Amino acid sequence: MHHRNAHHRLRIALAGGLAGFLLLATAGAATAAELSEPDAGAAHSAVEGETYVIATDTTFAPFEFRDTSSGDLKGIDIDILKAIADQQGFEVEIQSLGFQAALSAVTSGQADGVIAGMSITDERKETFDFSEPYFDSGVQMAVAADDDTTKGYEDLAGKTVVAKSGAEGLAEAQKLAEKYDFTVKPLDQSATMVESVKNGSAVALFDDYPVLAYGIAQGSGLKAVTDKIPGGQYGFAVNKGDNGELLAAFNDGLAKLKATGEYDEILDTYLADPASQASSGGSFFDLIADSAPALGKGLWNTVSITVVAFVIALVLGVVFGFMKIARSRVVRGIASVYVAIFRGTPVLVWAFLFYFGLPQLTGAPGNIFWAGTATLALNAGAYLTEVIRGGLRAVDPGQMEAARSLGLGWGKSMQRVVVPQAVKISTPAIINQFVITLKDSSLLLTIGFAELLYQAQQIYSANYRTTEMLIIVGLMYFVVITLLTWVANIVDRKVNK
Amino acid sequence: MSAETTGEPIIEVKDLRKSFGSNEVLKGIDLTVRAGEVVSLIGPSGSGKSTILRCLNQLETPSGGSIVIDGFDLTDQKVDINEVRRHIGMVFQHFNLFPNMTVRENITLAPIETGKKSKAEANAQAEALLERVGLSDKADARPAQLSGGQKQRVAIARALAMEPKIMLFDEATSALDPEMVGEVLAVIRELAGTGMTLVLVTHEMGFAREVCDRVVFLSDGVVCEQGTPDELFGSPKQERTQEFLSKVL
Repeated sequence: MHHRNAHHRLRIALAGGLAGFLLLATAGAATAAELSEPDAGAAHSAVEGETYVIATDTTFAPFEFRDTSSGDLKGIDIDILKAIADQQGFEVEIQSLGFQAALSAVTSGQADGVIAGMSITDERKETFDFSEPYFDSGVQMAVAADDDTTKGYEDLAGKTVVAKSGAEGLAEAQKLAEKYDFTVKPLDQSATMVESVKNGSAVALFDDYPVLAYGIAQGSGLKAVTDKIPGGQYGFAVNKGDNGELLAAFNDGLAKLKATGEYDEILDTYLADPASQASSGGSFFDLIADSAPALGKGLWNTVSITVVAFVIALVLGVVFGFMKIARSRVVRGIASVYVAIFRGTPVLVWAFLFYFGLPQLTGAPGNIFWAGTATLALNAGAYLTEVIRGGLRAVDPGQMEAARSLGLGWGKSMQRVVVPQAVKISTPAIINQFVITLKDSSLLLTIGFAELLYQAQQIYSANYRTTEMLIIVGLMYFVVITLLTWVANIVDRKVNK
Repeated sequence: MSAETTGEPIIEVKDLRKSFGSNEVLKGIDLTVRAGEVVSLIGPSGSGKSTILRCLNQLETPSGGSIVIDGFDLTDQKVDINEVRRHIGMVFQHFNLFPNMTVRENITLAPIETGKKSKAEANAQAEALLERVGLSDKADARPAQLSGGQKQRVAIARALAMEPKIMLFDEATSALDPEMVGEVLAVIRELAGTGMTLVLVTHEMGFAREVCDRVVFLSDGVVCEQGTPDELFGSPKQERTQEFLSKVL
């Protein structure tokens, strides 16, 4: 009970931490420490029995990636983290968010720690506290397997290379770029970088050597032509000043894993014989069969968030649509401002604001489903407001006059006479908006919502079969949208006779 | 006719004014209609005929003056306008039938929704009204399937379903093809014979002369001249009346 209470208080304090409640955070930590004092004799009392939310990247094989058949997250980071958690007696809830999003999650208090093949740098030390390094990395360059002209950095002159945004590869590439006179283009994911080299838009990529080596073994179609640039050590990180006991437990656990040899076993699993890791060999149809469970889950998430968001959007559209035809200038103004704001800003901005920004302001932990739902609902609601306003305005004013002249009130006249006609007029545009919202839901992959396209990204970032995966999800979207449109049109014909 | 002298005043309009922006359409109308009277409003377009009708059931809010209908002072904020409207039927130039409903539903909507009749009673009444306007076979049709004349007869039946004391006709035949005017006028003529109070805005001078107790000539937002059809059509006193009649007769 004591542990649970302490944990609860600590979590509340941490959530508020970045919003400026540093005092509270200190108090929370102090409380946790006091409460754990009675069993100070036990080795790992500060973390034992606790559950920590750990953020990670989505696409950083072999450190973290989805097993194509089971859809489970695996990789060096995941295995080390789980082994340490077991060893130290705490629980972890792993959230696969993407690299930048994982860092934001920790700084905003959404997550307690981050393990994402993250290099320890002085710059990052200003924001994070790092564990002892758990992996010695380094950056390596790779070119297309059939490229016989690029043999070293000197062959890059005047050409373009790609490197991972915010990662060590980018820093190394930029250093070399000055000396060898080439251009560096930052990209977000290893898989996109590989595709850029294969399609010729870049001649080479700079990425962490384990990633590169693992990718090549997976059939990424690249080859390494230069030596690894030594450097880079990876560390587990927590928000600066927070979760000291978690960091200590990680260090302690890591030392013990190294002592028992378990650490080397984990690395060997992924790096010693990468060929054995081939997660999806075989034909296009094998790929479909292997990825079906993960894609099925993604499709369910896509459809469910779209349906929930669209129902809310319809309510918003009806409320604001009626406000737009109100007599009061103030009421019309409120509706116009709503439409202007959400129609005039990108969906992505709101997704980030709702998921990362809002929790920092309120101190309450963010919920990815509802942040995504709010984003889609408010956006679609703005468009539906105009659709419904247009529908109401398109009904002949004589209809309202005829109903009123019969002694029906404004509400009854709207309900029985005007709205049914407005709905009929608006239905095609409403169906259209539903389809747009369903497709827009794929933007939520940027905050780490596990919808269909996100799941596909997870898979191709591990097996490098990018084009095939995109064709598969493209077809899935097409089939689902065609089916839903077909159903909607049948309902339209039944209801709007 | 006798109604003019015996009936109680059911519509009393005093100094009615109505402006749309800076355009003053009604410039002080005084008009009294007695129960059972059949009155037509005539005059050149823009003279304010339709605006008067629309003010009578508050589809337009007057800018000034007073309207008392069947004892209800419409300028009194406490008067429930929906209640007043249930005593005033209105027939529009463009019919304004509800296209999302059948003919029967058009007629039964108001009696059912206002709680005046049960669904069964309203349906029975609709049958009777459709028979009265000669459209018994059209109960299940949609407005889009009807001719203009049929639509207007349904619209009259719809207004009658609320059993109003007064019926307002706003150019009820103006949007009809000539061969359909007769069937609608026949229905109005039949109504006039029942002793119901009717106020018509019309361009059918022959019909006004035949059916009405009184004809009111409006010009430029004021009542220019009024009298029995024989007086007004036979020996108009005002120059503007004479000028107007010489153009339309």
